[in-house]
Amino acid sequence: MRKILLRYWKVLSTPSVHYSLAFLTIGGFIAGVIFWGGFNTALEVTNTEKFCISCHEMKDNVFVELQSTIHYSNRSGVRATCPDCHVPHQWTDKIARKMQASKEVWGKIFGTISTREKFEEKRLELAMHEWNRLKANNSLECRNCHSAESMDITRQSPRAVDAHQTFLFTGEKTCIDCHKGIAHHLPNMAGAPGWQ
Amino acid sequence: MFNTKISRRDALKAQAAAVAIAAAGLPASALSQNLVTRAEETELKWSKAPCRFCGTGCSVMVATKDNHIVATHGDVQSPVNRGLNCVKGYFLSKIMYGRDRLTTPLLRKTNGVYDKNGEFTPVTWDEAFDVMAEKWKETLRAKGPTAVGMFGSGQWTVFEGYAASKLMKAGFRSNNLDPNARHCMASAVAGFMRTFGMDEPMGCYDDMEAADAFVLWGSNMAEMHPILWTRITDRRLSAPHVKVAVLSTYEHRCFDLADIPMVFTPQTDLAILNYIAHHIISTGRVNTGFVNAHTVFKLGNPDIGYGLRPDHPLEQAAANAGDSNGAKDMTFEEYATFVSDYTLDKVHEISGVPKNRLEAMAELYADPAIKVTSFWTMGFNQHTRGVWANNLVYNIHLLTGKIAEPGNSPFSLTGQPSACGTAREVGTFSHRLPADMVVTNPDHRATAEKIWKLPDGTIPDKVGYHAVQQNRMLKDGKLNAYWVQCNNNMQAAANINEEGLPGYRNPENFIAVSDAYPTVTCEAADLILPTAMWVEKEGCYGNAERRTHMWHQLVNAPGDAKSDLWQLMEFSKRFVMEDVWPEELLAKQPDYRGKSLYDVLYRNGQVDAFPVSDIEAGYNNQESEECGFYIQKGLFEEYASFGRGHAHDLAPFDAYHATRGLRWPVVDGKETRWRYREGYDPYVTAGAGVEFYGHKDGKARIFALPFEPAAESPDDEYPMWLCTGRVLEHWHSGSMTQRVPELYRAFPDAVCFIHPDDASELGLRRGDEVRVISRRGDMLTRVETRGRNRPPRGLVFVPWFDASQLINKVTLDATDPISKQTDFKKCAIRLEKV
Amino acid sequence: MMKPINKWLMMACGLIVIGIAGAAWAAEPVATLRGGVAIDRETTPPRITQFEDTDQKRPRNYPEQPPTIPHDIDGYRVDINSNKCLSCHARSRTGESGAPMVSITHFMDREGQFRAAVSPRRYFCLQCHVPQHQTDPLVINDFVDVDTLLLNDARHGKE
Repeated sequence: MRKILLRYWKVLSTPSVHYSLAFLTIGGFIAGVIFWGGFNTALEVTNTEKFCISCHEMKDNVFVELQSTIHYSNRSGVRATCPDCHVPHQWTDKIARKMQASKEVWGKIFGTISTREKFEEKRLELAMHEWNRLKANNSLECRNCHSAESMDITRQSPRAVDAHQTFLFTGEKTCIDCHKGIAHHLPNMAGAPGWQ
Repeated sequence: MFNTKISRRDALKAQAAAVAIAAAGLPASALSQNLVTRAEETELKWSKAPCRFCGTGCSVMVATKDNHIVATHGDVQSPVNRGLNCVKGYFLSKIMYGRDRLTTPLLRKTNGVYDKNGEFTPVTWDEAFDVMAEKWKETLRAKGPTAVGMFGSGQWTVFEGYAASKLMKAGFRSNNLDPNARHCMASAVAGFMRTFGMDEPMGCYDDMEAADAFVLWGSNMAEMHPILWTRITDRRLSAPHVKVAVLSTYEHRCFDLADIPMVFTPQTDLAILNYIAHHIISTGRVNTGFVNAHTVFKLGNPDIGYGLRPDHPLEQAAANAGDSNGAKDMTFEEYATFVSDYTLDKVHEISGVPKNRLEAMAELYADPAIKVTSFWTMGFNQHTRGVWANNLVYNIHLLTGKIAEPGNSPFSLTGQPSACGTAREVGTFSHRLPADMVVTNPDHRATAEKIWKLPDGTIPDKVGYHAVQQNRMLKDGKLNAYWVQCNNNMQAAANINEEGLPGYRNPENFIAVSDAYPTVTCEAADLILPTAMWVEKEGCYGNAERRTHMWHQLVNAPGDAKSDLWQLMEFSKRFVMEDVWPEELLAKQPDYRGKSLYDVLYRNGQVDAFPVSDIEAGYNNQESEECGFYIQKGLFEEYASFGRGHAHDLAPFDAYHATRGLRWPVVDGKETRWRYREGYDPYVTAGAGVEFYGHKDGKARIFALPFEPAAESPDDEYPMWLCTGRVLEHWHSGSMTQRVPELYRAFPDAVCFIHPDDASELGLRRGDEVRVISRRGDMLTRVETRGRNRPPRGLVFVPWFDASQLINKVTLDATDPISKQTDFKKCAIRLEKV
Repeated sequence: MMKPINKWLMMACGLIVIGIAGAAWAAEPVATLRGGVAIDRETTPPRITQFEDTDQKRPRNYPEQPPTIPHDIDGYRVDINSNKCLSCHARSRTGESGAPMVSITHFMDREGQFRAAVSPRRYFCLQCHVPQHQTDPLVINDFVDVDTLLLNDARHGKE
């Protein structure tokens, strides 16, 4: 065993005799680009709604719920896809989220939410993850599109004007505090703050 | 006396001055208060009345002042609704005040004379009835009683339905009388008669507070029976162990409360019902003692056709189209084998419902510890196998003995305020007489003839034309003089283009329509009779839980509008017996010679037995004041004599004005909440425990009936299912609710609810104009991909309340062959973008 | 080449026939809710309109009338898990939301007793309270409210 390892080490530590340094450097760079690009492409593929709803758990539960909401169809036609709200846009956060998502793959394999009933049972837990994340990052994914600065409240309904002036612009509350359930059905809200 | 008059006038003067000042834009400083505080002026007269709309039978309190309704609210004293109304009920105050109320008869005329193609022209009641009576007499002379007919209503008062039944079946000797309730719960009636030998639910609304589980079979109670839904919601949310299962062909508002939501492929409810029976048997949960003591098993005839015209290929192909109601005896073992075909796997496969949900629902029935109440309405009844569906749900309640006791209840809901009272109990169907009797039974005819003081042989022994058949016979020219009261059948009946409209406009026919508002049925008529509605007359309704309730006339009808009852009586005055009865019948009763129909039917010593002075003080009664006797009381008491002592007992007339209604049978002043169960129902033999006394052997029938396909299913050319129905804010064809601005603006126009993926596949956007096309016709509406109804892929839902968007141009007039009720829930269509 | 012409001819003939039939119908003085369009013809379905979203309270026709909803409720869910309406209109929420509190009657159960919270029988708000589309009424309604009647009484008194 030791012999085999030593032999490999020898191959790796001996300078190349067949390929030039330039070839190795450039080749290595290209390979790196390809590898990196491939990784990112793969990452981006997993970052599309099409990928999300390729699992029936997503398609039959949360996606159909989204379809009847304003984030799916609305007057200006700007719509949110799953990752817009559920995957951070900054690379490091994104990778962190993707690593978390490996747990979801696990869940998929073991059918944790394979039926509507199981999903309903876990709905509160799953919703809490998202609410906590958005609360912690000051509703970052909301604000990626809805910036307080660009909001023209004269174009809003009187109720929205009052609420945004009192709570949003003062920083007293963040989007998710009031807008839970805006894109999906809610879990049982008994005891949830801001709800009966 | 003098003093009060003076002071009142003074007060009014002061007020008028204040008004004048206010009108002149001056500060109203002369007015000491900005609140009218004098009791004399602010006092309102509050009276009870049943709601005008659905079969729930809520009681409302109605405030009147100066011959106007000024307010309505839910009656806190009524056990049905305990102070609640739905949004329609809360706006009852406004239903009579649409500006286009009909106030004068209108006859189609050209150059001053009646002309089928003329223009509607105002006429007097005398002229209207002269022309109409002449048409009826002509028809009777030329073709006999089978060529005259009437289409009535489950919204008629009991008095009106009973008066019409006498007029048609005894007076004109025609059984061509049918109510719009045929479209609504004929399948429920036939289901009851087949299984129990007696109509109407054994349970009552009190079941809702006693049940542990509710299963909705094709009933969108959240929108169609909102107040009953409040009771279910109350029960479900107050007691967390309670479960709600909802079955439908699309998701609707009831799914918002569902623990077990189930969307199934149309028509496969039959298979699901058989699966539950199989589940109960295969898991050993049959209540053997109950089944042996109280039930027998029957194998019903399969392949019974689709109630289409006899020359339709589907009818030609059906083996038992001629004997749809037939059945033969079978054993429990044979029945168990029959339903063992309906395995979980197979039923999941054909219905599309997940297995775990099917099983969870089956357990609600199978588990002896769970009290389960089933509800159904049009999803079951408007079904080409609607009677079967009713029979099959009784099967599972009977197999487990979960029936006729608090909380264990198969409960057929009704759509109309008096579908039970007027259509079923009075027997305004083409085959019926009061108290569950039928025209084909000689004993039943004899009973009716005796009570009505008629010679034997007066009532014809053949079943008349039912609702769908009436439209077909109008088109075929076999039904020529036709009177429509209290319904909007041109909008409501299926297949307008091919049957309804050609029938009404057939030059051979004369069509009279009585209504309060100009409906599309009015437009298709030849004579329009302006009609008093709701509390413009004294009335009596019977709701879904056997509750009979009454109201007084509270305001006067506008203009020349008259109640249906007045119209029936006035019309009867225009016929002498020689016009309507043959000589051999008159020879049996010579004292009727020369008398009018009015004398024979309504001045028979019974109907005219009560003086006008019996009317409760403080209430008008336009009909009684005109005819000189308390007509409603007389009609009611004569009618009640049919059922008293025959398990249909009604209390004395006056009791109903004094209470919030009573549930029949009312024996010794006590209403009956659960029938067929000893201790609740006085008609059950002592010691029997349970007795289904509708059938002579005291037993209920458990029917083996298969799953059979719908009359028309989607194919390549017409690839989608169409389901029609109602919405919360509008009542039936919208003739009342569309005229209440708040209700109109809550749901203004019909739309086509469709799955967003189906829409995008067809290139349709929300709000797009779309043509809904079937083999029979098409209509234009708009696409709705959001909102309260969420259809699955391949199905669309279009409500029928909108007079401007007649979805019944598209629907198929296939009926249940047993009940003759149309299936408005299933036909094949395609959509085209406009 | 013949086919399309035939089709056009047939369509033209059809239109003339429909036109004649339609004219016979259109002359009717009975104004149904179809706006003068004959039963066998098609009306143009009105556009789907938005809900009024002014937040202005509308006067009630009588005190017992449930108020209509003066704002858009698109996407507001009321189901077994949650009630969006109460997230503003519940007693405890009105301070922050500024919304009117649900009426005191809503705390009463079937027996007329006040409960600690809104009675579950009132849970589905939309059974009684409805938003209003931005559209005109189809038919004028001549309902007269009691204040107007009192005023009329007063006017009559003056004469």
